[in-house]
Amino acid sequence: MLYYIARRILQGFFVLIMVLIFTFTLPYFLPHGALNAAYFTCSEHLTPSCIEGFANHYGLNQPYWTRLWHYLWGIFAHGNLGLSFKDSPPQLTGILKLYIPRTFFLALCAFLLATIIAIPLGIFQAWRRNRPSDYWFTGGTFMLYATPPFVLGFLLLDAFSIHTIHLPDSPTVGVHPWAIFTDPRGFILPVLTLTALQIGSYSRYMRSNVIDVLVQDYIRTARAKGCSPRQILVRHTFRNAMTSIVTILGLSIPTLLAGAVITESVFNYPGLGLIVVSAAVNFDTQVVLGVTVVVTAMTVLGNLIADLSLVLINPRIRITGSDR
Amino acid sequence: MSPRKPAKSNIEEFVAPGVLEHGLVAPGLTENELLTGVASEASFDPSDKIESGFRQGARVFAQNKLAMISVFVLGFLVIACFFGQYVWHTNQTSLLAQIGVPQNAAPSLSHPLGTDINGFDELGRILYGGKYSLTLGFLAGLITILIGTVYGMISGYFGGIVDSIMMRILDAALSIPSLFLIIALVAIFGKSTPFLIIVIGTTSWFLTARLIRSDALVIKNLEYSQASISMGATKLHVIRRHVFVNSMGNIVTVGTFSVADSIQLLSALGFLGLGIQLPATDWGTMLNEGTQELFNGYWWEVFPVAILFIIVIVCINFIGDALRDISEVRLRER
Repeated sequence: MLYYIARRILQGFFVLIMVLIFTFTLPYFLPHGALNAAYFTCSEHLTPSCIEGFANHYGLNQPYWTRLWHYLWGIFAHGNLGLSFKDSPPQLTGILKLYIPRTFFLALCAFLLATIIAIPLGIFQAWRRNRPSDYWFTGGTFMLYATPPFVLGFLLLDAFSIHTIHLPDSPTVGVHPWAIFTDPRGFILPVLTLTALQIGSYSRYMRSNVIDVLVQDYIRTARAKGCSPRQILVRHTFRNAMTSIVTILGLSIPTLLAGAVITESVFNYPGLGLIVVSAAVNFDTQVVLGVTVVVTAMTVLGNLIADLSLVLINPRIRITGSDR
Repeated sequence: MSPRKPAKSNIEEFVAPGVLEHGLVAPGLTENELLTGVASEASFDPSDKIESGFRQGARVFAQNKLAMISVFVLGFLVIACFFGQYVWHTNQTSLLAQIGVPQNAAPSLSHPLGTDINGFDELGRILYGGKYSLTLGFLAGLITILIGTVYGMISGYFGGIVDSIMMRILDAALSIPSLFLIIALVAIFGKSTPFLIIVIGTTSWFLTARLIRSDALVIKNLEYSQASISMGATKLHVIRRHVFVNSMGNIVTVGTFSVADSIQLLSALGFLGLGIQLPATDWGTMLNEGTQELFNGYWWEVFPVAILFIIVIVCINFIGDALRDISEVRLRER
């Protein structure tokens, strides 16, 4: 058990290191390698002294391994992600600290709301499978899945902000990262959009999982000994499908974050997605890579939490010590 | 996370046809015929003919109404996008040619679906953009399935230390949210159209590789692979003639889904302003331009494209579902 947890944590750490090395190495494939940013910044008056100065300022002239070591050491010892080449103040960690809580909160709200809606929906669909009500819901969630996320966002914006109840079209922005929480009304539409994006995949996953549970022998036994449908659903089906909810959490973090990029761009919600896109448009590679590292860390951490809580709720894993 | 269940591997598909149904001996043969190995013609009942795998697949596919409708709709759209320009003549490549054309004009006889913000005719633009969406989606899906298949097969077939190293790399790759990875690659290496295909293709194969690997793991331990190895077949031979051929059903199915996913990803990039650049366009970019005008009431710039987009994604998914059913039905019927 302890061995399993330790191995899982070590695995996550290893994955993170690999991703860090990957993102660190990526700029070396550019023309001029690590000095590309120097050439880009000095493109107005391209002189050796300008490039030299830029490179010295950011330490770009040092050998690859020295830089990599400084980079990794900076992250794990000081939580320092490096410097942005464009923004001032240039400390990436300082910039990202503003944006991480916002995206985190958006994703968390959407995830909770989506599970609250999608889990009963999936169970209902599985219970009534191949009947008209199942077809309607399956069709509906399938449409949600096929609609481009930003179109969904704009349609909601059009419907609830412009034409009817006039919800704010973007959240309140302040200097302080928490200023955004002063007017929760600005939150409603982004959270709704991100929720709608997730419901399609969650409920389909839940539906197929519950169908798998419903054909198990213990369900037949429960039926045979005279359990009411309600008891079968709550005691036997739901509890066994619980594990899949936790699995959803682990698996869906990348899609949740990708959805957040789109949602934030639609609603001008100042989170990680918004800065990564504006940095990408401005070729500020440092910020893009920094955000990539942060979201990867969030994914690894989320998977870790999901796996460990799976151990807690599923006695079958707890006893054998491993699920794979 | 993908809402689909991975296809089950169809191991039994390549046990010689009829063996499982009839035992090892074809029915209706006399003892003499068995001994001599020569079948007299009269002893064969034509209805006993064994269906080829392809024909059986086609039959199962044709029974699936949704998939058949999807094939026709998709086929029609592909033909329309590629050849519609010869019927409905519009200029979609020159911004200069649009001078004097009313911008954001409502649908009329000369512009059945109106014009967009640059004065491009919407109907012609949809056909033109659809060509990009479908072609790029198809190519990116192809790259995805190519890399995923090769990687998965090598990892699954060789096993051992090679497999664990390759799978750990895959774990790391899977933990970078792919949209962020794509944004990073586009930001660093630029956004030319061929590069977009390559970026989408090279960042979406991770799950495919995992699926193909688990197929390869099963197939390499089956009797026919083992027999082949014991007769001295090279690794490459076994991978090519057994592992690859027998996971073909899964490869095609996953490939179909990845085309839909690529089209979706491309549209997301188009929305973020990192996709195809003017005057070229795809449906995602068009939707992005259209949604900016939605609040002005220019519905014709959004809904026709959006509906076509959804139809294409839904059709491809239905076809993929039907392809997956084929391998599952084969398992059942055998």
